[in-house]
Amino acid sequence: MRASRIRTFAAAAALLAVIGTAAACQRGAAPAATSDPRSEAARLQRTNAQLQKQIELAAGKQFYLVLDPATSGLTLMLKGAPLQRFTVRGLQVGHPRVAWVSARDPRHVQSVIWSGGELDPPRQIDRLVIQSAGPGKEASESTPPPIPPTPEELYPVPSRYHVRFADGLSVEILPREADASVGRWAHARAAMAERWGDIRSALRSSDRDAIRLRITLDPNDAQSFYRSLPPAVRLIVLDGEVEPAQPAPADAGAGR
Amino acid sequence: MEPSPSLPAGSAPPAAASGPDAAGRRPPAGPQAAPGRTPRAGRGVWFNRRTVAVTAGAVLLAAVLLRGTGYRYEPYAEQPLAVSSDVPSDARPLEQFTARLRSRQRTLGARLDALMPKGVYIVIDQTQNRLYLKRGDGTLLQAVCSTGSGMVLRESGGKKREWVFDSPRGRFEVRSMSRNPVWHKPDWAFVEESQPIPTNPADRLDYGTLGEYALYFGDGFMIHGTLYERLLGRAVSHGCIRVGRDDLRKVWANARVGTQIFIY
Repeated sequence: MRASRIRTFAAAAALLAVIGTAAACQRGAAPAATSDPRSEAARLQRTNAQLQKQIELAAGKQFYLVLDPATSGLTLMLKGAPLQRFTVRGLQVGHPRVAWVSARDPRHVQSVIWSGGELDPPRQIDRLVIQSAGPGKEASESTPPPIPPTPEELYPVPSRYHVRFADGLSVEILPREADASVGRWAHARAAMAERWGDIRSALRSSDRDAIRLRITLDPNDAQSFYRSLPPAVRLIVLDGEVEPAQPAPADAGAGR
Repeated sequence: MEPSPSLPAGSAPPAAASGPDAAGRRPPAGPQAAPGRTPRAGRGVWFNRRTVAVTAGAVLLAAVLLRGTGYRYEPYAEQPLAVSSDVPSDARPLEQFTARLRSRQRTLGARLDALMPKGVYIVIDQTQNRLYLKRGDGTLLQAVCSTGSGMVLRESGGKKREWVFDSPRGRFEVRSMSRNPVWHKPDWAFVEESQPIPTNPADRLDYGTLGEYALYFGDGFMIHGTLYERLLGRAVSHGCIRVGRDDLRKVWANARVGTQIFIY
């Protein structure tokens, strides 16, 4: 009994030692990489190039998105002014493959200005057309003007959607815990449609969907993003690794 | 398996088969041909089993290939850092090179900061009908508003004009501010109400409709109050931004001529 306890204790101690050593090695490795003066210079070069691109975006007349993996933020901006910020819950990069053969695009999504971003499926605007009755002719008084719909009623948001950019990048917006509020059948149907769409896009091997950036947002943010995104938006992805996603507040669920 | 009813048991197969099934249908010879069975029956078993096996294999292969078709996702990773050839190797030049880069970084950072709006600015989300009063990254006020309905009005007679009631998108700035504003009704306001367009400018004046304050930002557009606060949050305006009375007072208190307005 005593020997068994000693063995367990020894095994736990050995495991802790291994974990500690690994952590120490990792800690030691990071400063070594950044303390290299040539790497430091290269890092500065890259930062400057990014700043230059951000200035170019801020000086332009178009709306643009800044994705900052380091702060888990996706910000809609215009002329340097942050308009709306969305918290990124997950970030993945997708490449097409056909019959298990990868067709990886050599470009990296970072440090490039992606332009001409449009929603897919597009946000439909159903315009009400009113023909005036003409001077002196009274419009029918018996029909009061209809109460206009709310934005939620006006713009139904698909469970998943894309923002497609001109040069082959497609940003896929995926709500966290997607489709939690819809039925199982609708969920399965949406998943099938999505899968079929993926297969078609991969087989088409066009420049339209050469790289995918999958961004996971909270459901409310995903809906808000779809409703708010202006046309012909631009995008830049800044330096930095993705931080582990913070848990969403309890009241941010899809069922609200 | 029973012999085919179309052929009597033990009858020989036709010497030269024709038709679409002919290819590859040779009678099994030698020890495989079971004694007492007709060659035709043996071929049928072989053919059916092969067909089933080939079909199953094809379906399986298609499923496997489709399984491997689509998009493969992996966690986002930062672009690997590549040291370009213009980075010096020697210590002294490298130090100077890095110092120049740091100086450039400061300059670019300052240029980027200079492009950001100074002081308070107004942001309007026209699809969700929200107005934000911001300073830097902070939000001072979030208000429900009403933006352009997107409605199209067509004139029946006269010049057969057409108006689209959208709020504009982009950056604007407050050009003038007015307390107790008077609305100079444009032509569409009369066309919409099926009234003749007045020739006397005084007949276009409308008092009280715009609320306590109006902030003009060009082309006839303004941020103003409303008589229809129950419709706030819905896109009902003719392109202007309607705000509730209390929120409008806060906007008025913080805005100045030149305050930037961003509408998206």
